[in-house]
Amino acid sequence: MSTGGMVKAIFFTLLTLGFFFVIWIKNPFAHKEVYEVPEEVAGIIWDPKAVSEGRELFIQTCSSCHSVRYDGLYLLSLEAKPEWKKILRTMGKPIFEEREGKLRIKGYYLPRDVYETVAFQDLENLKASFGKVPPDLSTIYLARGPGYLYQFIMDPQKVLPGTFMPKLFLPEYDKEAPEKVAKIVAYLRSVSEPPPSEKVKRTVMGAVTVGYFLLMGFVLWFYRRRLLERMGLH
Amino acid sequence: MGLRGTYRERTVEYKVPKNLTFPYVFGVLALITFALQIISGTILVMYYKPVITHAFDSVNYTIMKEIDFGWLFRHIHAAGANFFLAIVYLHMFTGIYYNAYKKPRELVWIVGWLIYFTLLVTALTGYLLPWGQLSYWGTVVITEIPTSLADAPILKDFFGAIGETISMWMKGGYRLEDLALGRFFGLHVILLPLLLLGLVSIHLFLVRAAGISNPEGYEIDKEKEPEKVVPFHPYVTLKEGAIAMWYLALFFFFVFFYMHHFLPPDNFEPADPLKTPPHIAPEWYLLGFYEVFRSIPSKFWGFVAFNLILLLLLLLPFLDFSPIKSARRRPLFFVMFVVFVISCMALTILGTMSPTPTNAKLGMFFTALVFLFFLSLPVISVIEWGWYKTKGGQA
Repeated sequence: MSTGGMVKAIFFTLLTLGFFFVIWIKNPFAHKEVYEVPEEVAGIIWDPKAVSEGRELFIQTCSSCHSVRYDGLYLLSLEAKPEWKKILRTMGKPIFEEREGKLRIKGYYLPRDVYETVAFQDLENLKASFGKVPPDLSTIYLARGPGYLYQFIMDPQKVLPGTFMPKLFLPEYDKEAPEKVAKIVAYLRSVSEPPPSEKVKRTVMGAVTVGYFLLMGFVLWFYRRRLLERMGLH
Repeated sequence: MGLRGTYRERTVEYKVPKNLTFPYVFGVLALITFALQIISGTILVMYYKPVITHAFDSVNYTIMKEIDFGWLFRHIHAAGANFFLAIVYLHMFTGIYYNAYKKPRELVWIVGWLIYFTLLVTALTGYLLPWGQLSYWGTVVITEIPTSLADAPILKDFFGAIGETISMWMKGGYRLEDLALGRFFGLHVILLPLLLLGLVSIHLFLVRAAGISNPEGYEIDKEKEPEKVVPFHPYVTLKEGAIAMWYLALFFFFVFFYMHHFLPPDNFEPADPLKTPPHIAPEWYLLGFYEVFRSIPSKFWGFVAFNLILLLLLLLPFLDFSPIKSARRRPLFFVMFVVFVISCMALTILGTMSPTPTNAKLGMFFTALVFLFFLSLPVISVIEWGWYKTKGGQA
């Protein structure tokens, strides 16, 4: 290749790579709000041991208004109804969890239309109190990320002025408030993300797949080289 | 002849130019990505429910959590859509650079353009299916664009009625609801893939019929210049096969380890027609057109401008009638090509930014440069006809 050709090739390659880096990986031109997780609680959010405690805290403080259908958690007012368990068993799909090597039913997943029909009055009551139905939080971690959720639960008005979400944790009276909020975020993370063992499997699977294709590329490349040499085409 | 004979005739005895450069591989990579989309899409369609009360959950619960490897097929399909468009853009820019749209390959280009257009519609219809906030509001923005015809300087009512009709037809009513989701789903999983399959087949047939273009821009006489051609197999098949493997390695790296861009966070919130997100923009492959549309102060002329760019792209073989082929031998064309590429990239990046007055001015500047590229083609062609004639008809 001539020097001019080389310069052109490098120019277009860098231009293309730069473009896709900006569009797909990191766009320094686009405005994005960043919400940080304080260092002292960051460990809790990613700690699998904090999940079950976070779930309990969620039931105590959040499930009066919010459901997590993907984890089988519904409004407390519904849980109190005598027919609720039967509705779950007949209309829902069981959500399994593995504990001590055994599969057990953790809860039931109800399709949205079924849930909104059977919980109609409870949801309407919430709407009358807050102006809107507080959202189901099954995918909120993926939508907002840990930083936003932590900051929002700690001080909803600061992050989203005008929101009807009340401030439930008061660090000035409860020193454990930041930890408790972090545990709730850890729980919401566990609903959205695969369990740690599954994550390891996916990482190994990804490494093997990428490695396989890389290797196959080299095999084909060298095989071609040898073949063309034999054919006198190289 | 039999299978063996056909194989020999189609691969070993089929000769291609020896000097094909790396960008020629994008055609094969597009084909591989298309196959990946069909396979992953076939799996996803088994579990997806095209009803607004179930669509979001069927994607985020059934596919992502319930079905074994459902997450993998969703990742492949979402990343595949982006890679497909990226590869098709690279393939198109390669075609423009080497002037692969010129005689005898005009029809190859036109069918290629039809593939590109169908692909954009396929991507657009598929984008709505997860029924997240981005899906919903991105589609609202796109389906509202035709209503900008009402901003026409003359015959406002006439143009307004056309725009309104197109918009209503796209949405299936005043709001995006089950009807639109069902239509988009039907188009995305049946009609458009079949159309794409047919167009891709015709495109491949035409490429074989006209022969692969040459980076140097001249047509090789395979009989008289046997030293300039090589057998398609194994010379090209193994080279492109190796590159395809490395491409798949890169693709699966994204699928397993970096899906952040391809599954954007905003789309993990279910669609809410009463809650408009602060930043709505179409996907990156439409951002260039979107920026052209929004940077021009008049909505009507913005609408006309981005449609005109699409049309001019289709008419490329007729705008550029120079007898000389390939940017390698056309310095004026090379300069304009660089201007065109940089303008397209700049418009796309501007599309990701906030619509400030400065950005709108920059948008208009780069839009003007894109049009300058198309308008310069006939002028360059006339100049090059002069050179061609002074050289006694030698390209």
